Amino acid sequence: MINPLLYFFLFVKASLFSSGGLTNLPSLHQDLLAESWAVEADFGQSLAIGQISPGPNGLWVISLGYLTYGLPGAVLALIAITIPPFLVLPIAAIYDRIAKLGWVSAVMRGISLAVIGILISVSWTILTRSNLDWRSVVIAVGACGLMLTNRVNLLVILVLAAGAGYLLYGF
Amino acid sequence: MELSQPGPGLWQLFRIWAGIGLQSFGGGASTIYLIYHTFVDQRGWLTPDEYNRDWNLCIMAPGINLIALTILIGRKLGGARGVAVSLLGLLLPSAAITCILTVGFLHVQDIPAVQAMLRGVIPATAGVMLVVGIKYAQPLYRELKAEGKLKLGTGLGIIVLVTLAIVLWQIAIPFVLIGTALLSILLFNRLLPQPAPAPASTEKKPDREEKQGRAVEEAHD
Repeated sequence: MINPLLYFFLFVKASLFSSGGLTNLPSLHQDLLAESWAVEADFGQSLAIGQISPGPNGLWVISLGYLTYGLPGAVLALIAITIPPFLVLPIAAIYDRIAKLGWVSAVMRGISLAVIGILISVSWTILTRSNLDWRSVVIAVGACGLMLTNRVNLLVILVLAAGAGYLLYGF
Repeated sequence: MELSQPGPGLWQLFRIWAGIGLQSFGGGASTIYLIYHTFVDQRGWLTPDEYNRDWNLCIMAPGINLIALTILIGRKLGGARGVAVSLLGLLLPSAAITCILTVGFLHVQDIPAVQAMLRGVIPATAGVMLVVGIKYAQPLYRELKAEGKLKLGTGLGIIVLVTLAIVLWQIAIPFVLIGTALLSILLFNRLLPQPAPAPASTEKKPDREEKQGRAVEEAHD
């Protein structure tokens, strides 16, 4: 049984301790699985749907909300991701005073390094928790390579990956 | 802060943001481009400097940077009501489509062909995520490399530590972030040698931040 308040709180927390739309994943992964409110497959599926949908990538959590808790989940997720960015307003008010402080830039640097680590662990989690085999590694490496060329649209890469999945797993 | 062009009405602001949300497929780089193009190039409601400053603020804010940017631009153009209509415009139509796609997926998910395609798409999102990380790392890598091998090694060490903390030790993300922030103050601000304050350092700084901001734009959201 999902407790809506706690559910909402977990989404707010994940967004509050994230930077960018995808780095809230590990936190949600830890918390929702611990409460048994999501299953492993929900994460891969909602990320894939989020990549296909328009709007910021961060909207993948709306799909996660829908998969785990229906329409209320989607609405709660949407409200939850909208709240933490409002902290930009107090930051804007004090920015000129704090921007030159040494410890502030050290913290920002630390957060940026952590974001990279988080993104690596997100990739690792998705890959290892979704029936890892040589075929999924080939697809992941291929997608990575195509993205790095900067010439292929993300949507095209995902369509190619779907095609590869159909050919490799469909028969 | 005065607008060089007459500002938009609320309904117009809503439609502009809805258009940006619905046209941005394939991640944040296209959204960032559309926002810049619309508000700076086309309408002249923001100067490039204002835009860059706003974006630097958004990188510091938690959560989705694009939402923070929408809040700042909405406030500049229409106050509190401007923020509300801008957010509704950016998020509601796109969120509705995300829901519809999810419903659609739930209807077809049991078809074996769909299962097979999904098994291809999921590892691809892992690859995409890794590239987001690589692009995010590039400006930081250049910056640390310029400050010497010791700083670069420290940076790499922190990345490895964060990854291990999450994947292997399963430490909760808030603690990982707070720990990394404290460790960074200790290492970069206290223990390791500081970059020599060049006479031109005050002028250099915004330039560096701007560069980082731009590179992050490409990678982020």
